[in-house]
Amino acid sequence: MSERTIDRDERVSEDSVRAVRVGHGANCSSVGSVIDTLFATAAIGSAVLAMVAAALASEPVRVVGAKRDEDDPKKEPP
Amino acid sequence: MIVRHEPWGAWVKLESTAAIVAIDHDGVRALGLDAPHVDGPSAPIEVHMAVTSRCGAGCKGCYLDATPDGVEPPREQLIDALDAMRDAGVFTVAFGGGEPTTRADIAELAEEARARGITPVLTTSGIGLTAAKIDRLRAFAQVNVSYDGAGAEYASVRGYDGARSAESAISALAAAGVRVGVNVVLTRATFGALARTLSHARSLGACEAQLLRYKPAGRAASLDYLAQRLDAAQARALGPTLRALAAELSPDGAFPIRIDCALVPFLSADPGIDAAALARFGVFGCEAAGALAAFTVNGVVAPCSFAAPTRLRSRDLGEHARDADLARWRAYVDAPPEPCASCSIRAVCKGGCKVVATFAGAHGPDPECPRVVAHREASR
Repeated sequence: MSERTIDRDERVSEDSVRAVRVGHGANCSSVGSVIDTLFATAAIGSAVLAMVAAALASEPVRVVGAKRDEDDPKKEPP
Repeated sequence: MIVRHEPWGAWVKLESTAAIVAIDHDGVRALGLDAPHVDGPSAPIEVHMAVTSRCGAGCKGCYLDATPDGVEPPREQLIDALDAMRDAGVFTVAFGGGEPTTRADIAELAEEARARGITPVLTTSGIGLTAAKIDRLRAFAQVNVSYDGAGAEYASVRGYDGARSAESAISALAAAGVRVGVNVVLTRATFGALARTLSHARSLGACEAQLLRYKPAGRAASLDYLAQRLDAAQARALGPTLRALAAELSPDGAFPIRIDCALVPFLSADPGIDAAALARFGVFGCEAAGALAAFTVNGVVAPCSFAAPTRLRSRDLGEHARDADLARWRAYVDAPPEPCASCSIRAVCKGGCKVVATFAGAHGPDPECPRVVAHREASR
């Protein structure tokens, strides 16, 4: 794991955000996803995205995970 | 933030707010990082780790078949497992069992997870939750208490009336400043009382609710499952029910309502569901052997907590991509047959619950999905 603070000239655009999973959840047997945001007002959805954008713009970056070295551009996010 | 490179971009775990975000390669570069060439399949981002199979509750549908004299794996095994999670870039570990609060070292294990950059959470029945145990649970980002409803609803799922214990646990955890949620198992008996159950949980101090599909695993893998599971009308009504619950209990998003991966196929019956929005808000369908893995008390990896374990040792999670059993689970999800293949929410749902499908006879489309039911009826 490497940690560094990066001077960022640009912000992650909303178009680059493919998915947002809100909250921790705490179930030990099956994976859970917040669903009420789907039915909430557009204002709540926008507030979630704004909160995410602010965090992406300000938090220091740590990179984790095993190094992998081939590309498969067809892969999609889960 | 913690960034994990993926073939399509990166998973990002935010630290100032509880959220995990998927960003594309441009987003990775905007973070000031290179977007390296990486190959899938990815390691899980969430692991469900059974830290004991010891539990005195005796729930009749326990998926682990936990007993009072169950196995408590040595701490060293669990530390090795946490090391493997760190090396693979896992974001969240959910401690379960069995009753995880029976472990005297549960707080230390949570701290060990945090020291590795992994967010620890925990599920408990709430039974026997003393002040000392509650104090240990402060180490967790969130604790969920199993609460299927008041009195009769709870007893119908568990086989005994433990609702009072669960309610006391919710109140005590909230009073102690522990972020507490509830897990509610949806069965034929609990479904109709859902609004009342969630409302009461919220009044006790719960901050969110997770709805769980009843699954035929462990002691629930019996004919009784057929009587407990949601009936076809209830499955079709899930979408409208969630919409009503959200409006009533969380109009401002302050009491999040979660559904588990196995409930996602039921949304295929709801014409009002926006498939793009499901993906945008990161809803996970079957992520078994993908974004999700389970570690058994015997220290091996399973696709999920309800599925049969593989032979891959937990400490070898880094070999996740090469394990043949796990690969078979992912292969199905990548190319499911009809009616999943043409389903609008396929990319999120991923074919529904394979544990239910396997119980019904085949590792195929979820036989309780309304779309699958309609397809089979039309094919007759």
